[in-house]
Amino acid sequence: MKTIIKLYVPLLLSGLMLASSCTKDFEKINTDPQSVGQAEYNPNYLLSTAQLNYTGSIDFAYETWRGNLIYASTMMQGLSSVISYWAGDKYMLNEGYTAAYWEKAYPDQVKYAADLVEFTKGKPQYNNVHQMGRIWKALIFQRLTDLYGDIPYSEAGTGYYTGNLYPKYDSQQAIYTDLLKEVDEATTALNASGDAVSGDLVYAGDIAKWKRFGYSLLLRMAMRLTKADATLAQTYINKAVGKTMIGDADNAFFKHDAGGGRPTQNRNAQVLLGDGGQENYYTRWSSTFINYLKTNADPRLSKVAVTKLYLTDGTKTQNPNFITTAAVQKGMPNGKDLSGIAGRDVRKDPSYTDFTDYSSPHPGMLKREGNTFILTYAETELLWAEAAQRFGIGGSAATHYNAGVISAMTYLSQYDAAMAITTTDANTYLTAHPYVAANGLDMIATQYWAHTITMLDFYEAWSNWRRTGIPALVPIVYPNTNTGGSIPRRFPYPLAEGVSNAANYKAASGAVPGGDKLVGKVWWDK
Amino acid sequence: MRLKMQFWLFSYAGFQTKEVAIGSQAIINIVLTEDTKQLTEVVVTALGIKKERRALGYSVTQVAGETLTQARENNVLNSLVGKVAGLDVSSTSGGAGAATSVTIRGVSSLGQSSQPLYVINGVPMESEPVGRFSANSVGNSGGQYDNAPDRGDAISNLNPDDIESISVLKGAAAAALYGYRAKGGVILITTKSGKGNSIEFNSNYVGEQVMDRTDWQYIYGQGTNGQKPTTQLAAASTGGSSWGAKLDGSNVIQFDGVSRPYTAQKDNIENFYRTGNTFTNTLALNKTFEGGVIRVSGSDLHNNSVVPNSGLNRQNFTLSATLDPIKRLVIDARFNYILEQAKNRPMVSDGAGNANYNAAFLPTSINIKDLEPWKDAKGNEILYNTGNPYATNPWFAAYEFIHNTKKDRLLSSANAKYTFDNGLFLQLRAGRDAYNETYLGVTPSGTAYDLDGGFTEQLTNFSDINVDGLIGKSFKVDEISITPNIGASYRRTKVSQTTNQGGSFQIPGVYTLSNTGGKTVSVTQSDQEVQSVYGTLEITYKDILYLTGSGRSDWFSTLATPGRDNKLSVFYPAISGSFVFSELWKPSFLSFGKLRAGYAVVGQGALPFKTQLYYNLRSETINGSPIGNIVNSSIPNPSLFASKAEEFEVGTEMRLFGDRLNLDLTWYSKKSSDEILDVPTSTTTGYSGATLNIGELQNKGVEALVSGVILKAKDFSWTSSINGSYNDNKVITLAPGTASQLLATSRSNVGFLQNIGGMAAGQVMAYDFKYDANGNILKDTNGAPERGELKAYGSAYSKWTAGWNNEFSYKGVNLSFLIDGKWGGKIFSATDYYGYVFGLHQATLENRDALGINAANYYTTYANNVSKQFVQDASFIKFRQLVLGYNFPAKLFNNKIKGLNLSFVGRNLFILMKKTDNIDPESSYNATFPGMELGGVPPVRSYGLNLSVKL
Repeated sequence: MKTIIKLYVPLLLSGLMLASSCTKDFEKINTDPQSVGQAEYNPNYLLSTAQLNYTGSIDFAYETWRGNLIYASTMMQGLSSVISYWAGDKYMLNEGYTAAYWEKAYPDQVKYAADLVEFTKGKPQYNNVHQMGRIWKALIFQRLTDLYGDIPYSEAGTGYYTGNLYPKYDSQQAIYTDLLKEVDEATTALNASGDAVSGDLVYAGDIAKWKRFGYSLLLRMAMRLTKADATLAQTYINKAVGKTMIGDADNAFFKHDAGGGRPTQNRNAQVLLGDGGQENYYTRWSSTFINYLKTNADPRLSKVAVTKLYLTDGTKTQNPNFITTAAVQKGMPNGKDLSGIAGRDVRKDPSYTDFTDYSSPHPGMLKREGNTFILTYAETELLWAEAAQRFGIGGSAATHYNAGVISAMTYLSQYDAAMAITTTDANTYLTAHPYVAANGLDMIATQYWAHTITMLDFYEAWSNWRRTGIPALVPIVYPNTNTGGSIPRRFPYPLAEGVSNAANYKAASGAVPGGDKLVGKVWWDK
Repeated sequence: MRLKMQFWLFSYAGFQTKEVAIGSQAIINIVLTEDTKQLTEVVVTALGIKKERRALGYSVTQVAGETLTQARENNVLNSLVGKVAGLDVSSTSGGAGAATSVTIRGVSSLGQSSQPLYVINGVPMESEPVGRFSANSVGNSGGQYDNAPDRGDAISNLNPDDIESISVLKGAAAAALYGYRAKGGVILITTKSGKGNSIEFNSNYVGEQVMDRTDWQYIYGQGTNGQKPTTQLAAASTGGSSWGAKLDGSNVIQFDGVSRPYTAQKDNIENFYRTGNTFTNTLALNKTFEGGVIRVSGSDLHNNSVVPNSGLNRQNFTLSATLDPIKRLVIDARFNYILEQAKNRPMVSDGAGNANYNAAFLPTSINIKDLEPWKDAKGNEILYNTGNPYATNPWFAAYEFIHNTKKDRLLSSANAKYTFDNGLFLQLRAGRDAYNETYLGVTPSGTAYDLDGGFTEQLTNFSDINVDGLIGKSFKVDEISITPNIGASYRRTKVSQTTNQGGSFQIPGVYTLSNTGGKTVSVTQSDQEVQSVYGTLEITYKDILYLTGSGRSDWFSTLATPGRDNKLSVFYPAISGSFVFSELWKPSFLSFGKLRAGYAVVGQGALPFKTQLYYNLRSETINGSPIGNIVNSSIPNPSLFASKAEEFEVGTEMRLFGDRLNLDLTWYSKKSSDEILDVPTSTTTGYSGATLNIGELQNKGVEALVSGVILKAKDFSWTSSINGSYNDNKVITLAPGTASQLLATSRSNVGFLQNIGGMAAGQVMAYDFKYDANGNILKDTNGAPERGELKAYGSAYSKWTAGWNNEFSYKGVNLSFLIDGKWGGKIFSATDYYGYVFGLHQATLENRDALGINAANYYTTYANNVSKQFVQDASFIKFRQLVLGYNFPAKLFNNKIKGLNLSFVGRNLFILMKKTDNIDPESSYNATFPGMELGGVPPVRSYGLNLSVKL
């Protein structure tokens, strides 16, 4: 036994000492050499990502394809498609598609905006990027809540900082109240002599433009509440008077890059150029939209619409001799298919001559490096017109209306020089279609609808249509819609939430007025 | 004169005792013959220490190498199916070279791998298939859109001809000396070492055939709204739909504009998959010389998969040298060099680029042969369903897509043992497993959903170094012997992975990275170090009582967080004992009997880089500006500590009736706690999960092995053995506020795999009907049932497993067969779900005429809303293996050939019982989560010949 003690105990002890003294470099070993922590990182990069991802997912335009195009664009009769999986055109429920926006927006947009805000909180050297982060976060959440209603907001996106793994759903009323406060505070706190913001890919760090963007966003948010809470709406509308965008140069848009593949290319373009299917051929401008432009001899018709862009469904090569002549432009009716059945197959529709005769969006709108419009001067002026007409705030409705309509035409040059409309042509249109106060709300909202369609921001077109009910779109007729034939008013919550956030989901899903379905309604939709 | 006979008794461990009469010889030559009976009594235990079976206080099952070589599998682990009680082996539907899942005594971890540790000749080896616990940016992980090929696993690289034996250390007590790596059990593999002088040659050729498991309706054909298509556009745009008119043999236009008879096409599976084959040849040389013995072997495996244009090649070269250069020093060095090339590993799950998926769901009236040619003159894919460009033409998927892997791997180890005169030994061992793997993935030019195609090349550089030392000595005091051993080990594992991707081939059909438009690169690295010390103390009293106690401490780099003083170490104690009661009480029917008991604590560390939040930049830039990236998709945890699992087991082993009947029974109870798990969070947190240190999990069960010689006559014998196990698993708790943990989502998005507190792990979840207060089923405006609650319909893990092995021998002829089964597991059949959606499932015949144009919508809504009907009982009994062989007598060849055996072999021959309609109950598209199937290679039956020659 002595041998055991003499031999083994020292060995064992030295073994223990050896092991415990060698753990010094464990911290270094357990640090990812391919990345850095907050101490070494520049939060400006997070703003860039939040901005890029707001235009749609890096994952093949995932929610742009499903949410913006398959659903919103067709429900708003901006686009029309006979592709079988374009469920939105037929008011059918595809839960994967209606969930797409949520499932990408939280991890791709909210995560970055929320992290930027938390990361830079209380750090004076990052004041401006922090305030931009707050504004961008509010922009992100407005669209999210507009699409789904009550959603995780106050506890969302901050899992790393709070450890809250199952965020509760806030009421849309509470969300809007806070969004207005956030945008107001953050816009005020932007400081022209503060930190230069290098990560801003929209205004290149221009604080004055950011302030006007902030107030324009504040106006858009406040105007969403005209029915739900007119008092709150007016409080904030008043704060924005005289501080919003002043011209096309103030338009907020994101310029894409063709070079980086799907992650950097324009989201709408990727889908509508047919990268993932036959969208280039079988998705066209809706007859509702084209007929509207045609009836009013709108100069935008020959700029946004072209025929003969693709000559067969087997090619993705554009015909360089596409036709822009206004007279031949023709929209495709919504709610049609290729079934061969009369009344449903578009080829049996009276409007059908040949597929190539239906109008496609102008290729200048669908450039891979093209701009995604986020918020425009035209939208802002049209909203001012409505504020003036509805509440008498902010000056003359007619003046704002005219400014809005002119800009809604002239801004098209920001897509492509070939799409430019002169102020003269815009004025000619206005002379022919002067603002009539008695019919004002209708005229304003219709212009807003047409403008947001040309922006390809169908989410915004859908929201404003739901709020105003203008224009009076005629629902399509198709067997087996999931809405009983009416135009959907909301995206149902994702099924995944019922799995990963079950208790909160159940409560929220059960509380949707009209049910957690396409026909349910969000709070401001009265 | 009567001579009184005297005898010498010669004995040597592992050899039969021999009595030799002492006569007048001056020299006695004794040849001892190996005692196979006794040899099996010596088993390899932890750290490679060989022990007598009777001394073990825990259950160990040893499988001899020769049982793996005749009716063989490309992945040697699949050969263990049905052979070891308590071992649940499931292969995946990923084609030749696919990964295999092995769980011992149930799933042992909630958030980390439950795969066992493999130890090859004493050196630990990781074998974690790509999946939930080993994420890969171009692999499957349990997400809804999983759409990548199976990438195989490390253990499948071994050549069964090189394996001497496999020891399965099932419980914690057996595996305690492996500490943090022992939670899932340990499989010890001993490869062959040199022996005598001989040449061995083994040749194995098998043909492979798929078994079509789909049983679709063949009443209605391709089309929609109950109608036949009348134009090519209508046929092509609904080319995946079997919602057409009744099949009437009339000429109907199809997707390609050709009119063909509207008749049932029942042989699409048989017509798409080909007869595959695997040809394996191994040559081994043994050479003994002064001071040592070596074994050199070379092996070539050539497989043509049943999937067209797919296959696997593998070459193994081994060198094993046992040398004793000086007295008392033994050096053992082994090298295993492996070259593996897989051509077009088949895609699984989702349909894009997946031949299996598209072959399975082709409409009832479309002949898969009419999908050829699969591309037009410009090289563009010819779609059979233009309504869904992701429904890739299966021929295009098989012949144009590329998913190749190439692996160069070197497993090397050296072991030096010096034994002093007084019995004290000193052992040093070093091992390294290193490989380079290249994955090439090409979405070809002309692919309908990605016309310009895309390129992915992933280079993986893996190295795992393990070094350990052990020192020990036996002391004998009267009847008691005491053996203390102490040791220490070091592990460093580094992985570096570079993924180059490019989109849009500029010159179509030229599949190089430089020919792509946008290019991105992503580099991931992983690094971990573990240091350990351990000691054991064995006390033996006569041959009656054996007691072993051990302790081990592990220090983990993966628990370290900069700026925090985390506890990096954990201590694992263990004790076990064996009492051979037959030494004290030996009735005539009992030849051997022992009782054993063991208790041990083992555990698991964390994966690297889970303690900090990381930022970097994306590979792309926007107009020159960088794009930020938050690396973590799971919320990190800066204060992790090691998890642990406590296990207690008792058992008995008995040999009865003159060794005619053997019994081995075990009961165990294992509780895992402080589980490190990535709890899936709501995506609204911004993260898909969070790393927590909290869950509890329990496994209780029994294992039994009964084997016996049923008949034994002069030339004939029949040996039969039955092994079985029962495991009762329960997730006790997840994190507070976490009722469920999502493991996998079916592509259908209406079937899930979850861990739920209070239930067995891996619950298959689906939606029930929605009921009103009176229990009536609620229906929507279109008459389809509404969606009710998401409910758990049972665990995907089987509760019962059993194998029944029979061996007959008559003179030189031997016949053996194996029947095995599993019971009590559930599977979510996404194949049946899509059978509803596409109008293929027989259930969609009900009321189809009455529903008219609403039929497709009705059944699709039905499938989406009430998915519980797709949860099926995965129980089965299979006729797994058959071997019929003949040993040619050596005298036939004038003893020039020492042995020659020719066998007919067959694997996976028949399914004797199953409860699934359209799938193989063993289907799975990933080895890291069971219970989910879709788009995999159909089950494959193989049969052929095995020739084994020894010179």
